[in-house]
Amino acid sequence: MVRIDAQVHVFAKVSDAFPREADSICPADREESIEKLLAEMYAHQIHQAVLVQIGGTGLDHHAYLLHCLATHPDRFLGIGLISPNTPDPEAHMDRLAGETGIIGFRLFAIGGPRDPFAPMAVEEFDTYRIWKHAAEKDYVLWLYPQAADAHLIPYLLEVFPQTRVVLNYLGICPGKGKLSWDEKGRPHIDTSRHNPVGHTTYRLNRYENVVAHLSGQYAFSREAYPYRDIAGWHQILLNCFGSKRLMWASDFPWILGEPGYGPLTNIARELMPDISETEYDDIMGETARRFLRFPHLEYG
Amino acid sequence: MQGPTEAQTMQWDEEGYLVFTDAIENDELRRLQNAFDYWANQCKPDWLERVERGEQEATYFDIPNPIEKDEIFVDIVDHPSYYGCLRHFTDGEPMFLGEAVRVLPPWPLSYTGWHPDVPHTNPLHIKIQIYVNDVDPGCGEFAYVPASHKRGAGPYTRPLFQESMPGHRRFAAKAGAAVMFNAYGWHAAMDNHSLIPRKSIILIYEKRSPGQVDAEPFTSIAHLCTSPERRRLFSLEE
Repeated sequence: MVRIDAQVHVFAKVSDAFPREADSICPADREESIEKLLAEMYAHQIHQAVLVQIGGTGLDHHAYLLHCLATHPDRFLGIGLISPNTPDPEAHMDRLAGETGIIGFRLFAIGGPRDPFAPMAVEEFDTYRIWKHAAEKDYVLWLYPQAADAHLIPYLLEVFPQTRVVLNYLGICPGKGKLSWDEKGRPHIDTSRHNPVGHTTYRLNRYENVVAHLSGQYAFSREAYPYRDIAGWHQILLNCFGSKRLMWASDFPWILGEPGYGPLTNIARELMPDISETEYDDIMGETARRFLRFPHLEYG
Repeated sequence: MQGPTEAQTMQWDEEGYLVFTDAIENDELRRLQNAFDYWANQCKPDWLERVERGEQEATYFDIPNPIEKDEIFVDIVDHPSYYGCLRHFTDGEPMFLGEAVRVLPPWPLSYTGWHPDVPHTNPLHIKIQIYVNDVDPGCGEFAYVPASHKRGAGPYTRPLFQESMPGHRRFAAKAGAAVMFNAYGWHAAMDNHSLIPRKSIILIYEKRSPGQVDAEPFTSIAHLCTSPERRRLFSLEE
């Protein structure tokens, strides 16, 4: 069966050919190349992956992502970045997507009333035009919004039921002030075991155009691999969404040092030991292949 | 304090719920509504901040520590409209566990899917849901699957759509109505298709069992618990 890693990040050193924004985690002289990713994938029998843009929302910031997609068109699909404040979001999306291998866009915000009791005029949400254009062009939306935005998502799903949506990182939306970086350079999100935001995002299982990632465990767990303290969240997601709407992802390269790419390919078995072979195959690739429409790849 | 009628006992045993149409009414209802609205208004800014920090659900809002905020939130715990039934169904050993004074903002989805609260290995668990405002059909009304409380009933699975649950009954009612239900049974809130928030209070009880008694949450209202019956209900007396 096909094995697909549904979210990884690759980036090059900052150069004229591959400009990007630099920060303390991705300084200008750091690179996590597509070749390095391919070596890990090859070593652990992962056949395909989703490359998710990192390093800025500007069109030119996507140069390395586009290069990787053009070089390996049968192995990777891409997710671009777009800011809710982009003046002409439709043009931004169309310039990046299409024949390039970019199939959708990641959003870190929804941009509507923070008060759940406020009147909800969906057309006034900051990302409304992005959602509308995604619906018209069949682009996938890759969601990792803040906790305060989570309750806004179903209003857009009601209006755009045809848009494919992927909830990142177990459907968790970081709370304000809860993001930090650990000593290994990995993001850490302080989240209670009760997981209040999960109570909002799990309800999105009602919408059949929504799938969720099983990923990012290192960022939420208070234990070392295999992060058994959050096994329950995986079971809830399995109960709510079913294996045909769940996708495993490694979040390369943040996990390379600890626990390593190989152990993460076993995380579904570690945290959901009772799943069937069919469910395992769904989570490890079939859902991504079908939902994201990965190209056929001869492997073996 | 009145115990259940024969019909109520049969209904409780067979279906797992009872409806008290005017459980709270007139001045007492207005007192409850005023206290609810006042404290909801007072506590909302803190709730919004906690939602933003990811520490609280956005899909419902509970007034924290209600029994410390207004005596009416204590008085409804052993209200004569239903307390006799509660006492009877727990063999004279009701134990109050807590109270959710809850308002649900309008949302395209129900805030909770179908579920039972506890398995049959748990002591008998009873809830009373009191509507603080009118809850019309399609406005987030409470719903229950009659007879799902019985050991061996089902199996039940959680459907994607609330209305797809086989055999369920919905309880749209006026403010002041109360629904007492056996929480072994499957229940949910229906979707709210209106723009009106649902305001309700959920009282939670169990049949008293050794090792479960915990007075700590109720010591702050000990001065309101002057009768032996109430002191025992709030675990202030063995």
